[in-house]
Amino acid sequence: MMQLKINDLTFAYNKKEGNIVENFDLEVEKGEVVALVGASGSGKSTVLRLTAGLEIPDAGEIIISGQTAAAANKFKAAEKREVGMVFQDYALFPHLNVEKNIAFGIDHLDKDKREARVRELLKLVNLEGFEKRYPHQLSGGQQQRIALARTLAPGPEILLLDEPFSNLDAELKDKIRNELNEIIKEIGVTTILVSHDREDAEFMQARDILMN
Amino acid sequence: MQLLKNIKKGSPGWFLLTAVIIVLLLIPNFNIIINLFGEAGENWEHVKNYLLINYFQNSLILVLASGFLTAFLGAVLAWIIAAYDFPGRDFLSWGLILPLAIPPYIGAYVYQGMFSYTGVLQTFLRNSFELSLNQSYFDFMNLRGAIFIYTIFLFPYVFLMTKAFLAKQSASLLESSRLLGKSDSTIFLKIILPLSRGAVVAGSSLVMMEVLNDYGVVKYFGISTFTTAIFKSWFGMGDLATSVRLALMAMLVIFVLLFAEKMLRGGRKYSYSTSNIRPLSRRKLEGSKKIMAQLFSYGVFFFAFLLPTVQLIYWSFLSRGGELMETLYFGLTSFLTGGGAAVLILTGAVIVATTARMSSGFISNLLARITILGYSIPGAVIAVGILLFMLQLDQVFAFLQSGFGIEANIVLSSTLLMLIFAYTVRFMGIAFNSVNSGYEKIGENYFEAARTLGKGVTETFFKVDLPMLKPALMSGFLLVFIEIMKELPLTMILRPFNFDTLATKAFEYASDEMIYRAADLSLLLILFSAVAIYLITHRRKRREK
Repeated sequence: MMQLKINDLTFAYNKKEGNIVENFDLEVEKGEVVALVGASGSGKSTVLRLTAGLEIPDAGEIIISGQTAAAANKFKAAEKREVGMVFQDYALFPHLNVEKNIAFGIDHLDKDKREARVRELLKLVNLEGFEKRYPHQLSGGQQQRIALARTLAPGPEILLLDEPFSNLDAELKDKIRNELNEIIKEIGVTTILVSHDREDAEFMQARDILMN
Repeated sequence: MQLLKNIKKGSPGWFLLTAVIIVLLLIPNFNIIINLFGEAGENWEHVKNYLLINYFQNSLILVLASGFLTAFLGAVLAWIIAAYDFPGRDFLSWGLILPLAIPPYIGAYVYQGMFSYTGVLQTFLRNSFELSLNQSYFDFMNLRGAIFIYTIFLFPYVFLMTKAFLAKQSASLLESSRLLGKSDSTIFLKIILPLSRGAVVAGSSLVMMEVLNDYGVVKYFGISTFTTAIFKSWFGMGDLATSVRLALMAMLVIFVLLFAEKMLRGGRKYSYSTSNIRPLSRRKLEGSKKIMAQLFSYGVFFFAFLLPTVQLIYWSFLSRGGELMETLYFGLTSFLTGGGAAVLILTGAVIVATTARMSSGFISNLLARITILGYSIPGAVIAVGILLFMLQLDQVFAFLQSGFGIEANIVLSSTLLMLIFAYTVRFMGIAFNSVNSGYEKIGENYFEAARTLGKGVTETFFKVDLPMLKPALMSGFLLVFIEIMKELPLTMILRPFNFDTLATKAFEYASDEMIYRAADLSLLLILFSAVAIYLITHRRKRREK
C-alpha cells in the first residue's frame, strides 16, 4: 500500500529567491525507509516540512495514507496529519521532564494507558529510569532518543527525521545509527530521513533519493 | 493570497482578535488626522500667528539637546561598565539604570528646591560662610535646566541599549583591536562608537520621544512646548479643535525624527563575519584610571539618583511622614491601576505577538510598527485622539438611550476605562517588544514540534509557548508597570473626576509648592519603580548564569 504520494510539489519561502522545491515527486511504500540526500539548500528539509504540514505548498499535492493532506484548495493542519517529526535540534520542551515530554502527544489517553505507553517507549529507546529528568540533564544522544520516543508515542503513520546525525560526533554517530536502525525496523514505521551524507542512507539500508 | 496562506497555517481566531486590537490602537491616531479637515478652533489663528514658532523652537531645542547629551553620557558609561572591571562595577551596572525610577518632573522640582534661595545648598553657604551667590547661577527654570534634568534622568535608555549591545557583540573585535596594539581610547572612538551607533541612536531616540511627551518638567519650569500648548488649549480654553491641530503638528515632528533615526541607523548595516559571539571579558583597571572611572560613574549615579532621593527623604522627614493614610491611598490606587492595566496590555501584546509569529515577514513587521506607534506619539496627542473617539461613542450611546426612553448620560468619557484604553494605546509597543523578543529567543521549533504531535495552535500556546514565555512576560509586565506609574500627561487629561495617582498628586503638590507633601508621594513612586527595576535586572542576571 502506498503510504505517501507527492505529486508535482512546488514551494518557495520567498518568491524573489525562487523555488526551493520544484515539481518534486515522491512515492513511499508502507514500511519503507527513504533517505533524501543532498547539499544544504537543496530543499530536502523543506520537503519534510511540507509533508509535516509546517509549510503550505504553492502547487502540487501531498497524499498521506490515501487521504489528501495538501492540494490546490485543501490544506490539512499539521496536528491532523498523523505525521511525526524528529527535529534537528530535537526541540524537547525544556519546561517538561522526560515523562511529560513523551506523554505530550498522547494526553487524550487515560492515565494508566498513558503511563504504560511512556514506559513502553522508554524501553524501546533504552532509557528506562529517566522519567523524571529534564532535557538539559541529558546528553545529546539521550536527547535524540527521547525526541524519537516522543514522536513515536502517538503512533504516527509516517516518521520524519531531519538530519538525525548532524549534531553527533563521529564515534557516537555509528552507535546512534545502529540503534535508530534497529528501532525503526522493530516497529516497521514508514520513515523519511534527510541527510547531507550518502553514507547515512546506505547505513540505514534506505532507498536514497538525490536532491539538487 | 499570502494572507490566506497565513490564516490557513495559523488559526482564524487569533487573527481576528489581533485585528480588533490593531483597529483599537489605530483609532485615536486616525481621529486626529480626520479632524484636521474639520473647522479650525477660535484660538487657532492666534496660536498660529504668535505662538507656534515658539512651541516649535522650544520643543526642537529640548529634543535635540537632550538627545545628543544622553547619547554621549549613555554611550561613555556603557563602555566603561561593559569593558572594564573596578570596585563597584557590579553595582553600577544596574545602579546606573535607577535614575529611570525618578520621573523627570519629580527630579525637576527636587533640583529646583535644592538649589533655590531657600534650598539646602544656598542656605548652608549663607549661614556657614556668609556667601551670597549670583542667583542666575542657580536658576533651573529655563531651557538649560530642563535639558540638564532630561539628560541625567533619561540617559539610562541609551546606557541600557548600548551596554547590552557591547556586552554581547563586541568581544572578538575588541580583543583583536587590542592585539593590533591600539589604545583603548582609539578603540572606543574608531571601533566601538561606529559599531554601536545603532544602539546609541535607538536609545537616544527613545529619549527624544520621552522629551516630546513630557508635560511635567516644562510645565513646572514654565517653558511652552507642544505638550503644554495642547493642555492649555484644551483645559484653559476648552478649544479641542486647536489642540487637535497642535497634536498633528507634534506628530509631524515625530515623523521627521523617526525618519531621521532610520537614516542614521539604516544607512549602513554592519553584519558580523563571525557567528561565534562571546561575552566581553572585562579589563581590570588600576591606579589613576580606576579612580577616574569610579569618580565619573559614581558621580553620575550621585547626581542622577542618590542626591535627589536623599533630598526627598530629608523633606519627607521634615513633614514627619505627612498624612500617611493619604500617601498609602494614592500608592494603592497607582499600584492597582498600573498592575491591572499592565496585565491587560500584556494580554493584548501576547495575542498580537503570537499572531505576528505565525505570519509572514511583511505582516509581522506591520504589526510591530503599529503597536509601537503609540509610544512614539506624545501622550497629550494620544489623549486628544482618544477623547474625540470616546465623545463620538458617547453620542452614539446617548442616541441609543434616548431611543429607548432612558435619560442620556456619559458612559465612556472620563471613566477609568478610557484611561486604561489610553495606557494600552501608548504602552502596547513596550509589551509587544518584550513578548516578541521572548518568542525570538524560544524560536519556532517547539511550536512546530507540538503541532506535529497533534496539538492545535491554541493548545500549543497554552501548553508550550506560555510557560516558556514566562520570563519575557514578567519583564514586559514590570516595564509597562513602571511606565504607567510614572505617566503624567495622559492621566492628567483623561482621568475620571477626583481620580489621582501618585504621579498626578505629587505633581499637583509640587506645582502648588507643597514640596514636603509632594516628597512623600514621590518617594513611594520611586520606591515602586526602583523595586521593579531591581527585579528586571536581577532576574535577567540570574537567567544568564
